[in-house]
Amino acid sequence: MSDLNEEESSGRRKFIRVTTIGISAACGIFPLAAGIPALLDPVKKNSGESANVPWSKVAPFTSLPEDGSPAKFEVVQETVVDAWTTYKDIPVGAVYLTRKQDEVIAFNLKCPHLGCAIDFRKQTNDYFCPCHNSSFALDGSVTTESSPSPRPMDTMETKVEKGQVWIRFQQFRPNVEEKIPLS
Amino acid sequence: MKMIFDWLDDRSGYRTLLHEVLYEKVPGGARWRYVWGSCLTFAFFTQVVTGTLLWMFYSPSAQTAWESVYFLQYQVWGGWFLRGVHHYMAQAMIVLLVLHLMQVVIDGAYRAPRELNFWFGALMMGVTLALSLTGYLLPWDQKGYWATAVATNLMAEVPVIGPAIQQVVVGGVEYGHHTLTRFFALHAGVLPAMLVGLVVVHIYLFRKHGIHVKEPRPKKDSYFWPDQILKDAIACLAVLLAVVALTVYFHGAPLGPPADPANEFPARPEWYFLFLFQLLKYVPAFWGAVIIPVFLALWIFLQPFIGSTRPGHQLNIGFWWTLIAGSVALTLLAFSEDSANLRHSAALEEADWQAERVLSIVQEEGIPPAGAVTLLRKDHENRGRNLFAANCASCHRYNGHDGRGYPVDDAQSAPELAGFASVEWITKLLNHEHYISEEYFGGTKFKNGTMARKVLAKYTAEEIALLPRIATLLSDMAELPYQTPLSEDEREELLALFYNDDLVFQDGLACIDCHDIDSEEEGHAPDLTGYGSDEWTIAFLENPEDERFYGDENDRMPCYGRDGKLTDEQIKILSDWIRSRPSE
Repeated sequence: MSDLNEEESSGRRKFIRVTTIGISAACGIFPLAAGIPALLDPVKKNSGESANVPWSKVAPFTSLPEDGSPAKFEVVQETVVDAWTTYKDIPVGAVYLTRKQDEVIAFNLKCPHLGCAIDFRKQTNDYFCPCHNSSFALDGSVTTESSPSPRPMDTMETKVEKGQVWIRFQQFRPNVEEKIPLS
Repeated sequence: MKMIFDWLDDRSGYRTLLHEVLYEKVPGGARWRYVWGSCLTFAFFTQVVTGTLLWMFYSPSAQTAWESVYFLQYQVWGGWFLRGVHHYMAQAMIVLLVLHLMQVVIDGAYRAPRELNFWFGALMMGVTLALSLTGYLLPWDQKGYWATAVATNLMAEVPVIGPAIQQVVVGGVEYGHHTLTRFFALHAGVLPAMLVGLVVVHIYLFRKHGIHVKEPRPKKDSYFWPDQILKDAIACLAVLLAVVALTVYFHGAPLGPPADPANEFPARPEWYFLFLFQLLKYVPAFWGAVIIPVFLALWIFLQPFIGSTRPGHQLNIGFWWTLIAGSVALTLLAFSEDSANLRHSAALEEADWQAERVLSIVQEEGIPPAGAVTLLRKDHENRGRNLFAANCASCHRYNGHDGRGYPVDDAQSAPELAGFASVEWITKLLNHEHYISEEYFGGTKFKNGTMARKVLAKYTAEEIALLPRIATLLSDMAELPYQTPLSEDEREELLALFYNDDLVFQDGLACIDCHDIDSEEEGHAPDLTGYGSDEWTIAFLENPEDERFYGDENDRMPCYGRDGKLTDEQIKILSDWIRSRPSE
């Protein structure tokens, strides 16, 4: 009889312990759990579809050097949404533009290695990133084997309409071989 | 696994510590009346965690505070829930504070040797109230803005240093960036840090003296773990469920229209400060800001000594019950006065309208860098109703109110303008009974004019039946954005009626004999060519005394354009608004 009682009371004690731990854990985790979806919200907004990238007018075609040497321009986007603010006509980045017959090639100013700004060197007629010494030829390709950049300079879609150069300006994920757009 | 824990215990001694924490003796067994302290700790813990998460989204400046809260509420996945939990847990904390305080008072747990802990508890209550006061402002919506203005103005009542305190807290003379940065620093930094420190001391002192046992003891002694913790956990779970239920039911915390010092809003604090708000209707602000808090602080300080005798203890209990009963009564009074006040309800509805309006504009246009408040200030619909309220509503009405929903004190002396120039509106106008009623021209001299006496009053039933068709013709000329235009044939047919080609009207007079439509001749009554259209309405608002309209027959209608009372832009906005689909 007393054995039975003891067994029952030990079962009851175990139940109390498990319930207590369970409820306490639920209460303890709840505040953080309540914010997890919001915390992870930035991850869900990540579609780099180039069709969604707007065209931005950069410069008159005639302002590009005829010999095909690069010129630097800032890219002003008509509408830029940063979280809650909608900006109109603000610079979003810079590009090097070069002429190739009637077309224009655009390189993002940012180094594909870790995102430093790339310089154009007139003396050596190439691109050079002063942060980690990546160097690129005029066509954007990596020139030295020891260059830390895993891929050529990032190009973007361009078009010439009514004498104006337009570009679909994008940023790309740094330090990977593949060119993956971020937007 | 055991080895790791052994190693950890050897280096830290955590088992002894844990044992001490969990095996605190609870004389007389676990009881529900002891749960409030744990519930408060849980509530505060929730506020710290959810507050830190909110911090990741909040931007304290006059142009970004409302905007960042809007973004969290409407754009971020689950943002409304996070914000709602923080908002309602803050309110739960106030309720729990009162429960905890009353339990301590009734049980006599404030008496020796626990005086110090009672005072610390009172300090924590003050810090918690300061937290809710500072948190109320942060969304920078109308409600927070206007209520905080009152609260900070009270600070200036403190003798000598009051104005300086106010200026330091507000970050200047005007409310702006620095009010937000300072309130945010207080709310997310200074006050929580103070509360953490006070909680530590409070719990230390509580442990030092042990639990205060309310006699008689119902059961034999037990330990904090697991019996009391189970009760505490269940109570915390109940608080949590209540908060989640409120959050889901109201879909998170409210967010009013963005703060605008030029846009009046009836300032009311959160419900738990309403008693103080109501009290300030009867006593000078100095009482609310200085005398009452000082008296309360003094009472709290003396309470353990007063309570050292039995009658003293009874006095303390009576004091707090009276205080609570008085607060409840004042709160109820505040609610009932507000709900009986038509202007107050109208102001709340107006704020709701503005909040919805700004949301729909934001969805269309986004928020400019100058902030969301500029959207409302520029919005033609919002400006239209405000222009109407300010310039037209002392004589005219819009669905019986001033265009924004506010009742008007002056008697109506000019036509109701909701649905102006619509078929329905003109049909009513052409009805004699309506024409001479207050809703149209009953308050003007036209009540006894030719149109009323000689035309509308004398129509036969057969002629009256034709009036809706005349109304349809006139209304078509208004080209109202929400009405479908007539076909060419329909228009021709109705014009024939207007010109009275086949002499349907008995007295042989046609409308055209007094009112012009597309004719060169000048009838002496208002020209109805393009009646109610954009051009007509603007021209009328500019100068109703023009020969085209009332001429020298004008009855008190101001010449807004001619006399420079309104700009061309304002007249256009007003005209557009009057001609838009009538809202409620």
